[in-house]
Amino acid sequence: MNTNTINPRDRLLAALKYLFVIACVIAALFPLLWVFMSSFKSNSEILSSGVSLPKSFNFSGYIDALRISPILKYFANSVLIAGVVTFVNVLLLSMAGYVFARCQFFGKKFLYFLLSLSMVIPMTALLHPVYIVVNSLQLYDTKLGLILVYTALNMPMSLLIMRSTFQGIPRALEEAAYVDGAGFVRTFFQIMLPCAKGGLASSAVLAFLGSWNEFTFALVLTSGESARTLPLSLSYFTSQFSFNYTALFAAVTIAVIPSILVFAIFQEQVISSLTAGAVKE
Amino acid sequence: MMNTKKRWIVIFLLPTVALFLLIYLVPLLIVFVTSFFDYRLTASELSFVGLSNYISLFGDPDFHKAFSNTIIWILIQCTLHVGMGTLLALILYKKVRGWKFVRTVYMIPNIISNAAMGMIFLNIFNPSYGVLNSILKSVGLGHLAKNWLMDSATAFPAVTLVWFLFAGYTTTLVLSSALSVDESLIEAAKIDGASPVQTDLFVMLPLLRKMIGTTMVMAATYMLQMFDLIYITTGGGPGKATTNLPLLLYGAYKGENNYGYANTIGVVIVLMGIAVMAIINKVMKVNDDEY
Repeated sequence: MNTNTINPRDRLLAALKYLFVIACVIAALFPLLWVFMSSFKSNSEILSSGVSLPKSFNFSGYIDALRISPILKYFANSVLIAGVVTFVNVLLLSMAGYVFARCQFFGKKFLYFLLSLSMVIPMTALLHPVYIVVNSLQLYDTKLGLILVYTALNMPMSLLIMRSTFQGIPRALEEAAYVDGAGFVRTFFQIMLPCAKGGLASSAVLAFLGSWNEFTFALVLTSGESARTLPLSLSYFTSQFSFNYTALFAAVTIAVIPSILVFAIFQEQVISSLTAGAVKE
Repeated sequence: MMNTKKRWIVIFLLPTVALFLLIYLVPLLIVFVTSFFDYRLTASELSFVGLSNYISLFGDPDFHKAFSNTIIWILIQCTLHVGMGTLLALILYKKVRGWKFVRTVYMIPNIISNAAMGMIFLNIFNPSYGVLNSILKSVGLGHLAKNWLMDSATAFPAVTLVWFLFAGYTTTLVLSSALSVDESLIEAAKIDGASPVQTDLFVMLPLLRKMIGTTMVMAATYMLQMFDLIYITTGGGPGKATTNLPLLLYGAYKGENNYGYANTIGVVIVLMGIAVMAIINKVMKVNDDEY
């Protein structure tokens, strides 16, 4: 054992280790910081030097972004859609998760197996048939159509999280409620749901991020301003207004900040729920 | 009493089952069934053609390109990308100073929208004001500057870089698995005279096998479904240099309105998903009970 002597090889190894960690941090932060910084530069500053600091904090990019694209409308759509999806998803999947965790009924195992297939289906393979379903419900190019699809897309993870959350709650609690004469529904809403806060928050954060960030189905299932979401608005800046770089960087910043905020506030939830999901998979 | 409870069970399950049928099962059936039909713009022209969509797909050079790109990306993601994330987790689990900060920061690119990431890299690689060319020019390597995403020699590696570096999910998951390992195992290895590297390699890594396998499945399915980042940065080009199966599907669906053909590609993606998962689970013994 030579724990106290630091030989050159160990020192090199330690240095490489730190270098690697720093490189990872830079790789993760640099693109965002660059965009953030560039959103305050003028067009000519951006064109003359891609990596210089802004000369002054100039908000005209943000004003332009609001002016030349319907980004505010798309932002509102995104808030509404992600908000409703989060609420509905968590409500429905906690109901289903509770039943799978606690109740016995014929065909339960088979039904759970069937539902967990949703975890393994690569959804981009289903672009066209999902459009057919949404269109035949007359929900093409509506917010409701996206809400329906996103609620389903976030189903596998929420079901997993909510089932294991309810499995972890002691049975004595609901038995006491039943003895007191509470029915099935009251027991669920008044006793069980408040005990499952951790799982609810985890599912909610993942459902919010999932629907806030979703791009592919939004592209296929919408066509007009009334239902399109924020991620789609970014493509506006490459096509029609490709010369206002400041506005583009401002728009990207606007799209990214809510995700980062939600993650910053709930990061422990996100990390623990991801872990729980992966272990149970 | 019993009957009301049964009724409530049904009511509690109904919305979830309905969603599953509507958005997963029915589309899955449509994909399989319509892949055997000549199904173009209007459904009235639907006619059964047997395996003809599959035959023309397997003979399509674009499909060969998209298929091999998809496979290459899956392999890169399962090995190098997961390896990078695991390496970072192996450094962080010793709780080096700032390990929580690093874990959080490294997750950020994974929790912001792919549309934003795509736009960011579209600009980083921009030939006139992008960061990459700006840096090259400022260090006197201006002659190396190029249109990275549109040059057929560099488009593939450039697109790969848009997701390759960001292994936050892997790091987070492997790290949490490493933190839950019984410390006495690590202590025992130290007492037996194992160096820190040996401990990581021969004690820690085998204990993390299942979780690494899980992150490989996640990485593979992510690449199998990759659409938005490519669509935004290169659109699959130049030529077909950076196309993959979802892009090919989108092209057949939206570009050519050839739905039967698009759904044939969909069937291939679904089957590949099953195959990839089975292979990784087998290789990494994810479902074994013992370590």
